[in-house]
Order: sequence, then structure tokens, then C-alpha cells
Amino acid sequence: MHEATLHVMGEIGLIWTHKPSLDVLMDAGCTLKENRVCFPANLVMESVAKANKRPVIKGRNGTVNSFGSGNLYFHNLGGARDIFDAKTNTRRPATNQDAVDAIRVLDALDNCHTVTPFFTPPNVSNEMMSLHMYRHTLPHTTKPVQGPGIQFAHEVKYAVEMANVVGTSASELTLSLSPVSPLTMHDASAAAIMAMAEAGVIQSNLPAPTGGATSPMTMTGSIVQQSAETLAPLVLAQLINPGCGVIYCGRLGMLEPRTGLIWGGVELGLSSAATVQLGHYYGFSVNVYGFSTNAHTIDAQNAFERGLNASIPALAGADELSGIGEMEAGVMGSHAQMVLDNELAASVMRLRTGLSADTEHLAIEIIGNVMNGTRNYLGQKHTLKHIRAGELALTKLAERNSWETWDEKLERKQMADYAIDAAEKILHEHQVPPLENQQEKELDRILAAAEKETIKKK
Amino acid sequence: MSEELYKQMAQSIIDGDSDLSIELAKKSIELNMHPLETITNGFVVGVNYIGDQFGAGEAFLPELVMAGEAMKAAVAVLEPELLKLGEAREIMGRVVLATVEGDIHEIGKTLVGTMLSASGFEVTDLGVDQPADKIIGKALEIDAHIIGMSALLTTTMVRQREVIEELDKEGLRPRIKVMVGGAPITRDWFQKIKADGYSEDAVGAVKVAKELVGKADQ
Repeated sequence: MHEATLHVMGEIGLIWTHKPSLDVLMDAGCTLKENRVCFPANLVMESVAKANKRPVIKGRNGTVNSFGSGNLYFHNLGGARDIFDAKTNTRRPATNQDAVDAIRVLDALDNCHTVTPFFTPPNVSNEMMSLHMYRHTLPHTTKPVQGPGIQFAHEVKYAVEMANVVGTSASELTLSLSPVSPLTMHDASAAAIMAMAEAGVIQSNLPAPTGGATSPMTMTGSIVQQSAETLAPLVLAQLINPGCGVIYCGRLGMLEPRTGLIWGGVELGLSSAATVQLGHYYGFSVNVYGFSTNAHTIDAQNAFERGLNASIPALAGADELSGIGEMEAGVMGSHAQMVLDNELAASVMRLRTGLSADTEHLAIEIIGNVMNGTRNYLGQKHTLKHIRAGELALTKLAERNSWETWDEKLERKQMADYAIDAAEKILHEHQVPPLENQQEKELDRILAAAEKETIKKK
Repeated sequence: MSEELYKQMAQSIIDGDSDLSIELAKKSIELNMHPLETITNGFVVGVNYIGDQFGAGEAFLPELVMAGEAMKAAVAVLEPELLKLGEAREIMGRVVLATVEGDIHEIGKTLVGTMLSASGFEVTDLGVDQPADKIIGKALEIDAHIIGMSALLTTTMVRQREVIEELDKEGLRPRIKVMVGGAPITRDWFQKIKADGYSEDAVGAVKVAKELVGKADQ
């Protein structure tokens, strides 16, 4: 797949018409084939070699996520349109308050390590949406905030200014841009890549091909195309700012050929795992889809799709998985789902930790002692020690009582019911240290300045 | 003879075989068959069949695309013959299609265009990232019956409302009907922005377009 990627980049190329960035690429040895720019293999590999593959992102309380350290991080997707009310099984368009509440819930969840602005609020223009979402996320979490998906160069400057207000420098901030599949870099996107590189932000660009529609139906073919779409902007960025941070990302979905929608089936997990392996081959930290589903409610399909799609790339060694709280292929989210994913993430992390076969874990001495003594392990210090040490992912929400207890005492409450209650409790009780007044004012000033520039441009 | 040929024509569309549909269209000309009857009794039968199959979950999206392309190819062969006879295939309506400003995704819109063309609409596809004034300008230029707007992003769907507001301001509705579609578009959104038609998929879009031009039964 690596060789196929280089072939696609070198022989087929990407549609690219943005003059200032084309000049940079041509000076470095790229060639033009009509309106497609072709990348020589040595340039691609030199750029890969230059990139900072171990970026660190920082939250406003100093929390850091170190990519490439072997840790598995979880975060949420951004840009959901609707909020799902798990109590009533209904949906509605998300409001500004929903956008804030979602961030507070994510802030409270131990296994959500990075927060991405979740809902798109109504009545905000496309040009201002990302900055608006970012500004209204920062006060409601102390975790590292994954910058919003951007589309335009002007967004970079203001996002960096906002990050600075909460003590995050450009080199500790990630921003993402999605090249259009197949193999197309629009002018605004190319300009934004240049702006990101000049600012020195960590680029976690997100090609999102749909296998069968905007990339080949075969997963390996799609991963090759996706890789070319990831590496091409990386080359530009490393030419402008050698050594700037990169997270290798893939957002390959598959076409549901009967409904036309993006499919949350197990193929997502499989292709995410392959994306992880290809990204690791280059030495990058890799972020892929995790908790992904097409399901509309918190049901059996939802659970099996997100469980599989998170587990498979996690076992392949993913550095970061997305999707906390996401439903219906990312257009909807719910607080209860976030709480459920927090628990599922704990299980996935346990899965990832695997087994140990050292003397302590093989426990031959304990087996001998027990057989010579009580012949049960309940009273052994070894047992308690390893329960406490995390041998089991002890769930907080899964129902594990007897039928009688469940039926009579617990009134047949199920996992989703507990998640609904837990989310409500968080919304009621969770306090996030507020920003200082001066910081709030500064964020408002930056947002207003961005708005002014946007209006002027229009 | 012609019954057998009609069957082969329908099957060429169902199989998405453009080479064969072109060949059969040429053969019908050699046999002096009436081009309009050829389209209606032969090729259209195939398009309708594959559309129904898709609606029933029995056909896949690529089959729909390939059927549409095979249909377009056959019609392109037969249209000059119609003109020679001083006739034209009845146009169901004129449609301007575009992806709204700020949005550069086009695959869904293109598919809608293919299906509308295959079903007898005259489609002008403006492409992606199209501002309201360009969409409306083109609609006026070709005297369109319908504007169809696509948006893939939750951040760009708001642009659909802007176009509708602009049309209302200019007093161009109900003369021009508006259809909206795209992954984030829901019935609630369609109602909220007071569009005239909405569909989740390309087959449904043809049905909606026919309703909007008062030809639901065709």
C-alpha cells in the first residue's frame, strides 16, 4: 500500500490549482500533469522524515496528551447537527446551550482525553462556524481542545489567538482540514494548509473518502487514495515549516450501496486498523474512526457497530480514536451515548492492555499455595491485588446482577437507563473552572475581529 | 420484432451497458422505428425498473448510476432523429442543480442530475460552491422550473435557506420551485426553510421533481 500510495502521488497526482502553494511544490521538484500535481517519491519520503511525529497537545489546566507514547486517547467527532434525547427516543436540532452542555459532559468523562467542539449551533455562518464552536468550547473544559475542522486560511490565525488566550501555544494546538476526495485540493484548502504550516500548528488533516463513491470500493484501494490525500498536504506543510507537527488521520467510510449513506459496519473498523498500520509504517501517530455507527437510537446495532469499530483499530495500535457520543454516522449525538462510550472506552483500553505472562501473573506459587490450603482463591491477597491493579475493567453501567435483583430491586433498569441518569447527574453537578473575565473578553474580541474580516471579505 | 428489441433495450439499461444501449438505439434507427416510441417503450422501461428495484432495496447505487448513464447515451443517439422529424422528447421540466456556496461536494448532486436526465428532465448542473446569485441567474436564463440545491455539511446547509429567501425577495416563487437534498438535510429542515421538495435519495428526487412540475403520473 505504501508503494501504491507513492505511485498514485507520483503518476496520477492530485488536482491542485492554488498558485502560491503550487509554486512551493514545483520549486521542490513536483511536476504538473494538466491540472494535477505529481509528487516525486523522494520528496514525499523526505517530508515524512522531517515531520514531528510525536506532537503533544495541551489543555488549559496543563493536561497534555503525548502522541506516539503508546497511549490510546479518545475524543469526539465534531459537527453533529442534532441532539438525541435517549429518554424519549426523539431528536431535535442542537441549540447553543446543547453545544455547551455537550462540552461539559465530555469534560467530566475520564476516558474522553481530548474535546472537540461537538454540535454545530444554528444560525452561524459557514465561514464563522469553526471559530464560533471553538470559542464556546474553551470555557467549558480544561482538557486539550482539538481544534475544529477548518476550511479557510483566515480561521487559522484566529484559532491560534484563541488558543493562546487559554495558554495553548500554536505548536500544542491541532487543526484539521479535509481535502476533497478523490484527490482534490481546492484553492481555499491549499491556502489553509499554508496558513497552518506558517503558524506552526499540528496538522491532523482528515481525508474522508467514501469507498465505492469517492474512492475505490475495495478497502485497500481506498486506503491508498486516502494515504495520498493525507501525505500531499503534509509535503506542502513540511516544505513551508520543516518539522511542524503531524498526526496521520484517516476517515474512510464505506458506501452503503442500497441507501447511499456511509456505512457503520465492521468494514470501518477493518479499514481504520489498516490505516493505523500504514500510518505507523511511516512512524506517525494515527487517529481514526472509533465509535462509529449508523444506528438512530441506543440499540443493539449501535452497540455492536461501535464496539467492533473501536476495538479493531485499538488492537492494531491506534494512538487516538474518535467518535465519543456520535450516532447516525456522525450527524447526531447524545449525552447518554457519551457516558456509554466512556465505559466502552474503558473496556477497549483494557482489551488493548492485553495479558501479562510474568511470574506474578502466571501465579504458579499462588496456585500451589491454594492447592495446599483452602482450595479457593477468594481469600488470596493476590486476588484482591489484581482486582485493584486493573485485571478487570470493572464497569459502572453494565447490568451484572441476578434476574431477581434486576427484576425486583432495580426495576429492570438497563445500561442505557443508567447512562441517561449519569449524564443528567453530570449536567447537574459538574463544575468546570471558569475562565477569567479578561480571557472571556479577549475571546469575544478575537471572535468579533474574525467576523469583521469575514464580512469584509464577502 | 420491435417487442423483442424493446426488451433488449430495457435490459441494456438494467445492465448499465452503455455500449449496448447505443448499439440498440442505432439499430432502431436502421429499422426505421419511431425514436420517441423507442425511448418510451424500450429504454424508459429499464430506467423505471431499476429505480423501482433500488426503492425496494434490491438494486445498488452503482447500478442506478450506470443505468442512468446508459439511458443518457441511448437518448443522445436518438435525439437528432427526433429533431429530424421535427419532434422532441417531451421535456418533463428544466432543472438547475448546484451545490451551495462554501460546499465542494458533488457526488450526490451529480447522481440526482443523472437520474433526472434519464427521466426526461433537462438538467443544467452548475457544479459546486455556487452562490445564490449564480444559481438564481442561471435559473432565470434557462427559464427553469426547478432549482435543486445540495449541501453535504451541517455548516453549509444554511445556504439553502439564503437562496430561498432571495427567490422570495425577488418574487420568483412559486414560478421557480426549490428542491433540497444532501446528507444533513431532514424533513424538518426542508419544512423550516419552506422549500418545495425534498428527498433522501436520487430516485425519490425524480418523483419529487415530477410532482413539482405537475407530472406525477408520468
